[in-house]
Amino acid sequence: MKKSDPDIQVARPAVSVALTTLVQQPMVKVGVSAVLLAVAVLVPFILTGYWVRVLTTMLMYAALASSLNIIMGYTGYTDFGNIVFFGIGAYSTGILMKVVGLPLLLAMPVGAVLCSLLAVVMGLPILRLRGYYFAIASLGLSQAMRELVRNMEITGGAKGFSFPMWRVPPRTFNISIYFLMFGLMLMSIAISRWVLHSRLGYGLRAIRADEQGAAVMGINTTWHKITAWALSAFMTGLVGGAYGFWFVYVTPDDVFNILVSVKYLVMVLLGGAGTVAGPVIGAFVLEYVSDFIWARFSVIHMGVLGLAIILTVLFMPRGFLHMIRTRVRPLLARAIIRAERS
Amino acid sequence: MSLQVLINGIVLGGLYACVGMGFSLVYGVLGISNLAHGALLMLGSYVTYWLFTLYGVDPFLSIIPSMAVLFVLGYLIQRLVINRVMGGEIRTTLILTFGFQLLLINVALYIFKGDYRAVSPSYAGEGFRFGSLTLPYARLAVLLIGIGSAIALQLFTTRTKVGNAIKAVALNRRGAELCGVDINHVYAVTFGIGAALAAVAGSAATMVYVLTPYIGQPLLGRAFVVTILGGMGNIVGPLLGGLALGLAETTGAAILGTTYQEAISFIFLVLVLVLRPQGLYGRQFFGGS
Repeated sequence: MKKSDPDIQVARPAVSVALTTLVQQPMVKVGVSAVLLAVAVLVPFILTGYWVRVLTTMLMYAALASSLNIIMGYTGYTDFGNIVFFGIGAYSTGILMKVVGLPLLLAMPVGAVLCSLLAVVMGLPILRLRGYYFAIASLGLSQAMRELVRNMEITGGAKGFSFPMWRVPPRTFNISIYFLMFGLMLMSIAISRWVLHSRLGYGLRAIRADEQGAAVMGINTTWHKITAWALSAFMTGLVGGAYGFWFVYVTPDDVFNILVSVKYLVMVLLGGAGTVAGPVIGAFVLEYVSDFIWARFSVIHMGVLGLAIILTVLFMPRGFLHMIRTRVRPLLARAIIRAERS
Repeated sequence: MSLQVLINGIVLGGLYACVGMGFSLVYGVLGISNLAHGALLMLGSYVTYWLFTLYGVDPFLSIIPSMAVLFVLGYLIQRLVINRVMGGEIRTTLILTFGFQLLLINVALYIFKGDYRAVSPSYAGEGFRFGSLTLPYARLAVLLIGIGSAIALQLFTTRTKVGNAIKAVALNRRGAELCGVDINHVYAVTFGIGAALAAVAGSAATMVYVLTPYIGQPLLGRAFVVTILGGMGNIVGPLLGGLALGLAETTGAAILGTTYQEAISFIFLVLVLVLRPQGLYGRQFFGGS
C-alpha cells in the first residue's frame, strides 16, 4: 500500500483527533493532578533548603493568585489593593499569637475572619463604585492601612513586629512551612473551583459580563460582590498569617507592599483570569522567572517584572491558557495533521 | 501657629496641583490612569538635578529642557506601546502603565543608583519672613509654577490648533475623527504633554524633596487624590484639589502628627471616592464654563 492510498489518508488524521480528545478526558486531568500531587509531596524531602523555600514562595503566590481570581477573574473587579488583607492577616495572626497566646492554627483563621469583616465593611461603600474607581479605592485603602498600621503601638509601628518563634531545626521548619503553604494553595484552588461551579459563581460571572443586566435578572449584585471580596479576603488573610509565621518578623512595608499585590495580579492575568488553573500556572511561571532573575540580576529585578507586565499585557492579555487554547492548540493540531499526511 | 499651617498647606497644595495636572489631562483625554506618572516625574527631577550639578543651571530654568525631554519620551511611549491597548479594558492600561513605572524606576536605579541627592541653589533655605511666619522662596515659586501651568494649559487648549484638537477628542472622539483630527497623534501629544507636566512637577519637587528614584511614588498617590478631588480631566479642578489636599494634610499633620501625613491623603482619597466621586469641582471635561 502506497502512502497516497485513499484508505490510509482517511485513517491518519484520526490519530490527531484521538490525541486531542485524549488530552481533554477528565481522567487524564485527574491522573496528571495526582502525579503532580505526589511529586509535590515528595519533593521537599529531596531538595535543598533553598529550593524548598523557592517552592514554598511559589505555592504562596499560587494561593494568593487563586484567591484574587475570585474577585478579579470571576467578578471582573480589579482589586489592586488585595494586599491589605495579606497585611492584616499577618499582623492579626501575630498579635493573636503573641498577645492573646493563641496557637498558629487558631490565630490564622481568626485573623482571616477579621479580613473578611473588613472586606464587608469597606465593601459596602467601595464595591458600589464602577470597576476603575474600585481599583483606585482598593489601592488607596491598602496604602491608608499601611500608614495606619505604621502608626499603631500594638503593631510595633515602623519598627516591625516579631512573631513568637517556633524552635525546631531549620529543615523541619522549612518542610513544615512548605506543607502549610501547600495546604493553603490546595484550599485556595478548592474554594476557587467551588465558587466557579456554584450559584455564587454564576452570579459573579454574570456581573462580570454585564452588571446592569445581571441586576435586571434579579441578581443581588451588592451581596454577590461583597461575598466574593470577603472570600478573597479570607483566603488572602490566611496566607498572610502563614507568611508572618514563616518570616517571623514583619514590617508595614513588607506586608502591605503594593508591588506584591500587583505581582500576583499579573500572575492572574498571565495565567488566565477566570479559570481555576490559570492563576496557579501564572504564579508558578512568573515566580520561577522572578526568582531566576533575582538570583542572577538582582539589581534589575523590578525592571524585569515591569517588562514582563508590559509584554503580558501587550501579547497575552487574556492569559497563557487562553492563548494556548486559541492559538497554540490549533497550530499544534494542524502541524500534527500535516506531519501525518506526509 | 495655625496661619503657618495654612501657608504650608497652600504651598504644598501648589506642588500637588502641579503633579495632578498632567495626570488629570491624560485621564480626561485618553481615559488612562497613568501609573507611570510618578516615574516620569522622577525622570524630570533627574534632568533638573544633572543640569544643576553639571552645568549649574538653576532648577527653575531647567524646567524647559526637562519638559522637552519628557514630552518626547511620553509621545514615544504612547505612540509605540500604549496606543496598542487603547480602547480595551481600563485595567489593561492601569497594569501596563504600572509595568512602565517599574521599568523606568529600575532603569533610573540602575543608572543613577539609589543615593540620596539634593538640589540646593543659593536661595535654598531662604524665604520671606513676616513675624513668626515663614514662606520659603522655593516653595512659593512651586506654587506659582503650579498656577502658571494651569494658566498655560488653559491657554494652550483654547487658543492653539493642537489644543483645540485635544479638547475635541476629549469631548467627542468620533466627531473629532470626522473633522479630520489624527487621533493617534493627538493621543500621543496629550500623553507627551502629561509627561511634560510631570517633568515640571519633578523639577519643582527637587526643591522640596530629597531626590531618589522613588521621589515620584508618594506624589503619584497625591496625583490620584487631586485628580479625583478636582473632577477628572479638568484644569482648574486639580488646582483647587491640590490646594484642598495640601491644606488637609498640613492640618491633619498638625493635629495628629507628621507621621500621619500620607495616611491622611489616602484616607482622603477613599472618602472622596465613596462620598463624592465626581469631585469637588464636579464637572465634565470642558463641559460648561
